[in-house]
Parts: sequence; structure tokens; C-alpha cells
Amino acid sequence: MTVLEVTDVRRAFGGIRAVAGVSFAVEPREIVGIIGPNGSGKSTLFDLVTGFHAPDGGTIRLEGRDITGRPPHRIARAGLARTFQIPGLFVNMTVRQNLLTAAVEGDWKGAPDRAEAVLEQLDIGRVADDLAGTLSGGQQRLLEFGRVLMQDARLILLDEVTAGVHPRLREIILAAVRGLHEEGRTFVVIEHDMELVRSICERVIVMDSGEIVAEGPFEAIARDRHVVEAYLGRPATT
Amino acid sequence: MSAPEGAAGRAVLDRLSTSLALKALLAVAAAIVVLTVPAWAGDYWTRILTGVCMWAGLALAWNIIGGYAGYISFGHAAFFGIGAYATALLMQPERHWSFFLTLPVGAAAAAAVAAVVGWPTLKLRGAYFAIATWAMAEALLQLATVVDFTGGSSGLTIPVFASSAFFYYAMLLAAVLSYAISYLLLERSRFGYKVKAARDDEATARSMGIDTTRVKIQAFVLSAVIPAVFGGINAYWITFINPRSVLGAEVTDQMVVMALVGGLGHAWGPALGAAALYGVNRQFLAWFGDTTSYIAMVGVLVALVVLFLPDGLVSLSPRARRMRLVRRLIPRPRSGTGRR
Repeated sequence: MTVLEVTDVRRAFGGIRAVAGVSFAVEPREIVGIIGPNGSGKSTLFDLVTGFHAPDGGTIRLEGRDITGRPPHRIARAGLARTFQIPGLFVNMTVRQNLLTAAVEGDWKGAPDRAEAVLEQLDIGRVADDLAGTLSGGQQRLLEFGRVLMQDARLILLDEVTAGVHPRLREIILAAVRGLHEEGRTFVVIEHDMELVRSICERVIVMDSGEIVAEGPFEAIARDRHVVEAYLGRPATT
Repeated sequence: MSAPEGAAGRAVLDRLSTSLALKALLAVAAAIVVLTVPAWAGDYWTRILTGVCMWAGLALAWNIIGGYAGYISFGHAAFFGIGAYATALLMQPERHWSFFLTLPVGAAAAAAVAAVVGWPTLKLRGAYFAIATWAMAEALLQLATVVDFTGGSSGLTIPVFASSAFFYYAMLLAAVLSYAISYLLLERSRFGYKVKAARDDEATARSMGIDTTRVKIQAFVLSAVIPAVFGGINAYWITFINPRSVLGAEVTDQMVVMALVGGLGHAWGPALGAAALYGVNRQFLAWFGDTTSYIAMVGVLVALVVLFLPDGLVSLSPRARRMRLVRRLIPRPRSGTGRR
């Protein structure tokens, strides 16, 4: 069964068309990358899929269930987890408490053991009892990703999860993504880091001005005229 | 294990058991002192400590919505007043209810009002929520003043039960229960994690499956029920209530200030703030004959706490967490994920 099916989804803010008739599907165990210049509608698309914005039109299905316009907490409980472009942390709670919070709607009894495992896996055990607000930017990204690990979701949406992260921490995150992928999880990843997209994404969707302008394997996408134009601009004409 | 290591291990165990025994001894001694106050403290000090228990419980209750949930309520006097009027009305000679039965009635009424008021107002943030809750309390005060069955501005008299010890133990029990509820539900249960997550980042909390609307209403109801119980006990204690004495803004102001000074969002900080401020209040009354200078001092104290001790008196302990919630009372406006 298709994990995520987005059909002709549209959303405008005032007169600006942030997402303009986007359709795509994500199959089980895929890692799909979404790339595009800033302001192309990638994060808005995530907000639409996760219920933070209601679409003006179109439908969104998660494992066959229509989740269009449902509130975020219901969509999360249906098996979807996400990270944010700017890490969303519970800054007045400790790192360990942040991880535990991700399990409040799931297996609460087993949460402490899983939190310890995640702390070890992401190498943030040393700061387990520090307030999340005191972490460095890279550690905050790790913690946010750690919460995704705690959620036990079947579909995971990562929004620039390695942006500004130290190469060593980046490798930790990528190893965890690969591990979860091998376990059967499905990912949709927004990224500007083309090397990362090339290394983990089986398929890439390119967005520009709220529309999908190209879709396919990374090698094909890298040669696509739309992609080159979207990232590098059109050649000057005389 | 080698012999030296074994000896060192035994020494550590000995020190630990000595420390535990000392703590247990101190706890038992403190419990005996607290439980025998009416026997040795005299009537004046028993009444002072009864007041400390009441304000400690009220500040802890306010801390549930103000500290743990991050919503600054300026309407908690409404719940205190609802409890007070429930007890006063039901104990009138023509109804003749048992005092103990009036408390759950007041608590249920406060819970219902909190749920109805909380549903729309908890969608507001910062000053908007504070104003909305202040308006609710003010509306109730005006209502209690103009309708007949509350006795209007003349108030109600409650049959006298002159036992300082009874009210001391009633307030003490209610305060202990307030602390137990705060600690067990907000610090040790998954409900507490949900409340604090909604406070720190509502969008993120929702993305993890937390129904933040429901959680915030539950926290508001919980923080309303406790003042209603205290309101009922207080009405019976002071034997006379009127709208200004139980629904006035001063009641809420005290709760807010005590929680801020003690430590917003800490399990026992607000009780510490209540004990300190109520003690100072009574001392000022004894020295100067009124509490005008106390009000001026509280104003200065709040400013000093916000500037120099944002985690309140609890942060004087080196083990306290530095959350600085007091500096986050006015959140940034958000749309969608709040990150656009």
C-alpha cells in the first residue's frame, strides 16, 4: 500500500501561491528527497501533510486513510513523525525528558529504556540531564531527530535535519536514518545538501514556485534543465 | 573484588545509609512538629500557619496553569470565590448541608466553569489570556454583587465552628494534597510531560500526537478545582464572605506573586513563596497596623525577582533547574508550525 499519496494539493497565503497543485506518492521503504530553492514551497508542503495548514484543495492520504485537513496530533498518531526547519525543542525540559515526551502517546512503559538507547545511539548521553535550551545547534538537531526515533512512526518527514550540523553528528544522523530504513521505515527528506540527497535518496522531487518541476533518480535530476534553472537561474539572453 | 575495594564499598554504603537515616529522622521530626502545631503554637501562630497552608496550596494550584502550562491566569479568584460561595450557600440554616459535602460541590462547579471558560480562552496567549481570565473573575464579582441569593454586596454569614485546630488541619491536608497532585501529575506522570510540552512548544507537541487543546483545558480545570476547595474551607473559617473578599483581584494577585517569587514551574517553589510572603504580610500588619507597605514591597520584590532571580527563591538552591519561565511569559506570535 502506498504510504503517502498527495493529490493536487494547493495552498495560498494571501495572493501568494505557496503550493500550487502538487501531486506525488511515496511507496513503503522509500527515501524520497524534496529539493528546491528557498521559498519553493517545500516546508509548506510538509505543513500541509502534517496538518499544520489545511490545504485550499486536493487530498492527502496516509496508508490509504484520508488525512486532509486533520489536526496535527491525529495525523501524528496515525503513524507520521516530523522534524522542523528550525528545531522545535521543549527548552525548559531536559534532553531525557524531551525524548520521553515523544513517547507520551505511545509505549510509555518502555520509554525510559528506549530513551537510554537513543541517548547512546546519538551520543548525547553526556547532556541527558541538561536543559534542551542549553544545547548547541547541532545537538538540538540530534535531539529533535532522537524524538523521531522515540515516536516509532512508519513515515518520517525530515526538514533539513542536518543543516548546520557538525560532520560527525551528521554521520550519526545518517547512520540512524539508514538503520531505520533497513527496519522498513519510509522517509521524505527536505534537503539543500545535494551530497546527502545523492547518498540516501532513491528518488528526488524538485519544487519551484510551489510546483513540482522534476521527479526521478538523483542522477537524472542533476541533469534536468528545470533543476539547473531553479538552482542556478536561466542563462542570460542577449 | 579486592579487600581494599570491598572496604571502600562498605564505607560508601555506610555513609549512604547514615545519610538516609538522618533524612528519615529529620522528616519524622518535621512531621511531628507540623502535626502538633495547635498543641504548642498557641492560637495566633496556629492561625498564621493556617493562612500559610492556604496560600501555599493556592499558589501551587495557580502554578499548574501559570508555571507548568505557561498561561498566566488573572482570574483564579473566580474559582476561590465559587468554592467559598458554594460552601456558604449550602451551609445556610435553611439548607443545612454538611461542610464536607459542600467542598466537592464547589470543586465541581469550579471545574465546570474552568472547562467552559478555558475552551475558548486557552486558544489565546500571553496578555490576551490574562485579560480574558481577569474579565471572567470581574464578571463573577459583579454578578455576585447584584444577585440576591449571594447576599449581594452585604455577603453571607456562615455558622461558626470555632476550632483553630480543625481549620489548621483542614488547610494542611488540602495543601499537602495540592502538592501531591502537583508533584505526581505534573512531575511524574505522562500528563505532566504533555502539559510542559504544550507550554514550551505547542506546534512540536502537536506534531508528536499531543492534543494540546485538551491537555491545556485539563490543566486549567485541575488548577481551578484546588482553589475552590480552599475557598470553601476559608469561607467556613472566616465565617463571613462578600464578593470583594473572595472574588476580588487581590486573591489572584497573591497567588501570582507567591508563585513568581517562590519559583514558577517548580513543584514546591510556589509554596515557599507563599510561606515567605504571607509571613512578611502578617509581620507588616503587626508592625504598621495595615499592609500598604507590604503591597509596595511586593511590587519591588516582583521586579527584583524578574530581573535578578528569574527562577524565584528555589533557585537559591544549587540543585534547582534554571528554567527562567518568568522571562517567557509573553510568547512570540505563531502561525502554522510557528516557523514560517
